[in-house]
Amino acid sequence: MSSITLGRYVPRDTFIHRLDPRVKILSLILLMVAIFISYSTWEMTFIIGGILALFIFLLALISNTSFKALFKSLRAMWFLIIFLLLVNVLVKPKDAQWVAFSIGSLNIYWESIFQSLKIILRLFLMVSLTMILTTSTKPLDLTYALEWYMKPLKFIKFPTHEVAMTISIALRFIPTLLNEVERIMKAQTSRGVDFKHGRISSRFKAIISLIVPLFIASFQRAEELADSMEARGYNPKAKRTTYHKLRFSVNDLFAFILCGAFMAATIVFTVMDFTIKTPLFVPWLVIGCFCVLVYLFGLGAANARRYKK
Amino acid sequence: MKLKFNHVDFFYGDKAPNLFQALSDIDCEIKEHSFTCIVGHTGCGKSTLIQQLNGLLIPSKGSVFAGDFVVSNNRKERAKKLKPLRQKVGIVFQFSEYQLFENTVEEDVAFGPMNFGVKKEDAIKLAHENLLQVGLNESFFKKSPFDLSGGERRRVAIAGIMAMQPEVIVLDEPTVGLDPRGVKEMMALFKKLHEQGTTIIVVTHDMNLVYGYASDVIVMDHGKIVYQGAPNDLFNQSVDAYSLETPMMTKLIQKLEKKGYKFDLSKISSLDDVVDAIAKQRRDSK
Repeated sequence: MSSITLGRYVPRDTFIHRLDPRVKILSLILLMVAIFISYSTWEMTFIIGGILALFIFLLALISNTSFKALFKSLRAMWFLIIFLLLVNVLVKPKDAQWVAFSIGSLNIYWESIFQSLKIILRLFLMVSLTMILTTSTKPLDLTYALEWYMKPLKFIKFPTHEVAMTISIALRFIPTLLNEVERIMKAQTSRGVDFKHGRISSRFKAIISLIVPLFIASFQRAEELADSMEARGYNPKAKRTTYHKLRFSVNDLFAFILCGAFMAATIVFTVMDFTIKTPLFVPWLVIGCFCVLVYLFGLGAANARRYKK
Repeated sequence: MKLKFNHVDFFYGDKAPNLFQALSDIDCEIKEHSFTCIVGHTGCGKSTLIQQLNGLLIPSKGSVFAGDFVVSNNRKERAKKLKPLRQKVGIVFQFSEYQLFENTVEEDVAFGPMNFGVKKEDAIKLAHENLLQVGLNESFFKKSPFDLSGGERRRVAIAGIMAMQPEVIVLDEPTVGLDPRGVKEMMALFKKLHEQGTTIIVVTHDMNLVYGYASDVIVMDHGKIVYQGAPNDLFNQSVDAYSLETPMMTKLIQKLEKKGYKFDLSKISSLDDVVDAIAKQRRDSK
């Protein structure tokens, strides 16, 4: 459990770490829009996808995000990727023309393969972006930013502070609960429970031996936390100030403009139906570049030992 | 079962960016049938050390030998299955009362033995025997573990490990949060198990317990073993060097020695021994 890195903040002093969390959240949304915009041709999809992948790769480098951890969290999606590949490849898309190869009477179309690769590319970029955000931003800063964005909702009496407090407590307790899971798993393993192997019935029992104590401990913790907050006079409706004030800087403006430009460019490309007339080898070239990038990620993972020093 | 650490290093976060070395070049042996206490400041690596004993944590470097089992990072060297080792080396974790989950106390205690292939009827029998041994009578057998007090639940958890009939019982701060009477009863139970031939390893911060019960003591500091030997030698010579609290008995003896009394420390293990020694010296002086 201690090896779970997705969503864990890693303290470093980088340009991205120093950015305002509000700008980071907004930039994430802008880049997500850029990632999920559709283009009329495969060439455009992979060219823009490749450029975005390169940009995110640079972001990961700048934010000193561990490539090893990034690669690990992407590796966890293998099952989903294989499932997507199977579903897309086996179902014939509309207007499919190019047959890549045939298995018996089943035709596999280039369109299906491209469709799968497009989804995989998007997943890959989305997970990488989210990971860069969570490893470079303290959970508490994220909630401050969310609370700031929800401020206008106060006019319709929406409990913004309570929601932000709930989110921050939930985020705060993720590592605690993971540690709790690890502790209970170790205790049950000591009693002969095997969480990885065995028949379905014994694995079901193993899960029960983990879940019941986890729920009890979590409820107890929640009750203790509520009591201690009340004992210290916590009033959710009170008007409050913050010790840590969020401030925009020139760097934030630069980051915002850069990400905004990315999104704007992708929208312009789609609206204008901008296409590059290229022969078939171009998408393959882009896929090749993408594979090189994945390889570089892997290489980065192998070199990630520098974080150990 | 002899336990041996052979130049063991352990890193947390081996697969993550936040690497932390918890154990550094641990090289020691824990004698068979001993009552060993492991002491040291919070975060010095005590809990990490004990988890290497039954393969819950695998050393990053070096090996741990537990009887015929080898726990090592080297897959060729390591025992193929660690489950049988877990039956032989039982670990009772800190706040073990939070690991209970079955409907009744007896089922929870029987859960461990059943995982190691003991039939349900035999496991329930073992559960009853061990529950009685930890001081919980028949009225507790059918109760829900969640209806018990914290101290009682901890006893159930300890009975759960005892029912697996391990050769070594490792306890991580078993007396934390118990009242003085509970501590005394708990330690008396471990002493009894030790006398029956079980090797006992207790992680504790309480030097009075170390003084009263341990045959060996290991002092840890920043992931290293800085002392291993008899408790008396530690408390009479080097306790200040490791910033440990001096036990009440040692303080008492030192004060009495300043008043002119003399004690053979190898024969002193309880307050009664001190009283007897003083009485004898007073008789002799008359």
